[in-house]
Parts: sequence; C-alpha cells; structure tokens
Amino acid sequence: MAILRVNGQGREFAAEMFPLTVSDLLGKLRVDAATVVAEVDGQIIERDKFALTKLHDGQSIELVRFVPGG
Amino acid sequence: MDELVIAGRKFHSRLLVGTGKFASSEVMAEAVEASGTEIVTVALRRVDIENENDDMLAALDRSKYLLLPNTSGARNADEAVRLAKLARAATGINWVKLEVTPDPYYLLPDGVETLKAAEALVADGFVVLPYINADAVLSKKLEDAGTATVMPLASPIGSNRGLKTRATLEIIIEQANVPVVVDAGLGLPSHAADAMEMGADAVLVNTAIATAAEPAGMAEAFKLAVQAGRTAYVCGAAAESRRASASSPLTGFLGDE
Repeated sequence: MAILRVNGQGREFAAEMFPLTVSDLLGKLRVDAATVVAEVDGQIIERDKFALTKLHDGQSIELVRFVPGG
Repeated sequence: MDELVIAGRKFHSRLLVGTGKFASSEVMAEAVEASGTEIVTVALRRVDIENENDDMLAALDRSKYLLLPNTSGARNADEAVRLAKLARAATGINWVKLEVTPDPYYLLPDGVETLKAAEALVADGFVVLPYINADAVLSKKLEDAGTATVMPLASPIGSNRGLKTRATLEIIIEQANVPVVVDAGLGLPSHAADAMEMGADAVLVNTAIATAAEPAGMAEAFKLAVQAGRTAYVCGAAAESRRASASSPLTGFLGDE
C-alpha cells in the first residue's frame, strides 16, 4: 500500500500498481493528460515526461489545468 | 486599424478578453468570437478530479487565440512565479499576465511583489504583462525591468466603474515606451472607447462582457468601441474651446442689408 497526496488529498494505491507513472495516475483518475500540468513535490513535470516519471509512496502531486479567468 | 505589437508579436485587435464568469463555456466561446479578440486570458487551478467534465475551456478554439495565462490567486511574488512556470509548462509559450493580489476585497495589486516577480520572470525568459494599480512610477520601474506591457487598472476588477484612475492613466500613457493595456473596471463600451481615445494601446475586458444580458452582443459592442476609440486617437482630436465656433457660414443670412 502506498499513499500519494493528489491535489492536497491522500489517496491509497495498492503496492502491485507500482511502478506507477504520472501517465498511469492520470489514466487511473480519468483525467485527460493533454490539458494538464503536473507538479511532483514542487517540481514541474513536462507533459512529454509524464510516461517516464515514476511516482513513489508519500509524494505530493499537484494536477492543474487552465480554467476561465480574467 | 493599425497593429498592436507586444514583444514583437503583431495583433490586429486591440481588445483582450477574459474568459471568467460566463454562464457556460459555449456562451464564452461565442462572445470571444464576436469580440474579434486575438488574446484571451485564462487562470490556472487544480483539476477537479471528481468531475470528468472539468475542462471549461474545451469550447474555445485554441488555434485562433493566444492563451494568456494569469497568475490570479497569487498573494506574493513566489506564488506568482510558481504559477507562471506551471502555465508555461501548460501552454508551451512563455507569456504571462502577472497579477499579485493579496487583498481579496478590492483585489488591488501589490506593486512591490509584482515588481519582484516581474524581475524574476523576465530573467527566466518570460514575456511579462503585469497588472498594476495606475501608478506611473511603478509603471516605469516595470518597463525598466523588461516587462512587455504595463496593465494599469481603470477601477477595481469586476467593478464596472470605468476610468476612475484617469489622471494617472494619462501620465502612464504619456511616459510609457511599452504598450499600455488598460485592464479591470471597464464596464461599458464608452469606457473602453474613452481609454483608447486617451491613447491606451489596448484594453482588457471580462466582467462587462461575461455578465451582460447578451454577452456576444456586448462583446461586439466593445470591439466596435475599441476600434472607434483607436481610430479617433490616431486621427487626432479636434481642439476644445470654451466659446462657440459656428459650423455654418456667418455670412449671407436672409434679411442681411
């Protein structure tokens, strides 16, 4: 069992799901990767690195996207 | 209309449009289209993981507009720089509307933190468009720091109160060597035309369009007002005088002896 903090909320992931990449996480959460930016422990992950970036227990992930604004 | 040039990039429209507060993303897309704008602002927020239809900007044809991400929500320079970097990762371009607004009531920008963030972002290769109070000294400092524009406010964001900062806006426009984009508080097309007649290079409008009864129609009204104001500015206003000056000949009246 591993816990990842995604957008401020702790989420549990079974150990057999690892290695889990940012792409895998987005797929699991059903979030369209094309419009998302990810930060892992404060480091921005470029979109072309989503599939290469492995996540580990205890990490904090921020997933953000553009929303309407002025 | 003559072209607007920001950081070497040319635009035919001098109206920037914000995408917030629209009733739906379809209404927003329609209004953006009707405005003739080429630059639309967007914000950056956490993905709502529980909501699969979270992408509110899906209706916008991104190939037609330059998406200008803002740093709204930033309360200091560090938060603004973090948001700008995230936005750059999302757009792949390095333009950012820098806003640092620690006070949630009037949403007035923090000039000290804005200048600090602008310096850091310019050094990092960003094209920085800072939202500021109508402060002519800060405006020059930002320009000297290398910002691409200055974006002084007309009145508080979303207030629709018009050009309450007129006297200092005039000084900013007079002194600026970068485009001046009057941002925030323009509530009517006449406010936008007024700003353009004063010599502003562009205006940014959001609330006045988004919360109008018919946003697409109001977007068009702003488009026409900006065009009219710019054309009037370029053509040079006629002189004002206290006395009347007849427009019709003062000779040849009936009954003249």
